[in-house]
Amino acid sequence: MLFRRLFLCALFVGILAGFFDSALQRWQVVPMILAAEAYEGALETAAHSHEDGAAAHSHEPEAWAPKDGLERTAATVLANILNSIGSALLLLALMSLWNRFRGGQARSTPGADAAPLRHGLLWGAAAWFCLFAMPAAGLPPELPGMQAGALQARQLWWLFAVLCGAGGLAVLCLVRTKWRVLGLGLLVLPFAIDAPHSDGSPFVGFEAEAAVQMALLAQRFVMATALASALQWLLLGVLCALAGARWLNPLLRPVEPSGTPAGVLR
Amino acid sequence: MNASHTSTAVPAFVPTTSATTAASVLLQLGAALVLGLVMLYGVGFSEASVAHNAAHDVRHATGRPCH
Repeated sequence: MLFRRLFLCALFVGILAGFFDSALQRWQVVPMILAAEAYEGALETAAHSHEDGAAAHSHEPEAWAPKDGLERTAATVLANILNSIGSALLLLALMSLWNRFRGGQARSTPGADAAPLRHGLLWGAAAWFCLFAMPAAGLPPELPGMQAGALQARQLWWLFAVLCGAGGLAVLCLVRTKWRVLGLGLLVLPFAIDAPHSDGSPFVGFEAEAAVQMALLAQRFVMATALASALQWLLLGVLCALAGARWLNPLLRPVEPSGTPAGVLR
Repeated sequence: MNASHTSTAVPAFVPTTSATTAASVLLQLGAALVLGLVMLYGVGFSEASVAHNAAHDVRHATGRPCH
């Protein structure tokens, strides 16, 4: 059954990509998060020393959190794997939809073996654009300790930017008439409705020196996350395309009038 | 929904007669899409403290609003 196979493909691809993501994040991204948390921790210690302890802690309910070290790494790896499986389900479903209904299947043409690789890179790049670049252009990836607008407002805007990115890209690439320029409108729409930001500086409360360091770190963090997520999405796209070509496309071939699936013998 | 075909271990290169109807394909792909969205919501957006704390670094690394 198609769903079952697609799920197994997503599981396989997601586990591979999740480990890759975790290793990649250990390189630049996670050290930056930890460095920002050190600044944040110093800030909190300073803030709490001015208040009495009971009031200072009342805003933090006790919830389970992974202990720093192995437990935190394990939680991150698990979250990366789940994130990759979810992303793979999305990509595989959309790729399959495309292959089945837009005739995108590789035929027995020269260079057909390279097609999944090319398709995968294209799909990965499109996903990176929609799910990272679009929202990050309005809400740059944040470090712990930075002040930002209300969480739910930012989540809604993030989602809106992703949907506009996907819609805009789809219209630009798929519509063949002059109406395709509407896709450009969709791409700029989220920025016409400005992203929710905090009123003051994102580093309010930090001492001047720490604020400068945090601002520098935040800039480098944007570059590091952009690079890491680009590599993650490209790999995920390629893995999904290869898995789809191998295991899903045979189930997607429409039945020809003769009763045999088209293009089976190649 | 393709119920007669229960063997899933068919190698990809063997011609199968299990080519599914368009409606069934749409339904199954839609289900996979929804499942993927639910998983992404859990990792990236769920406000449950445990989900937030476990996925904290991933949310920051993937540019999702976190705090």
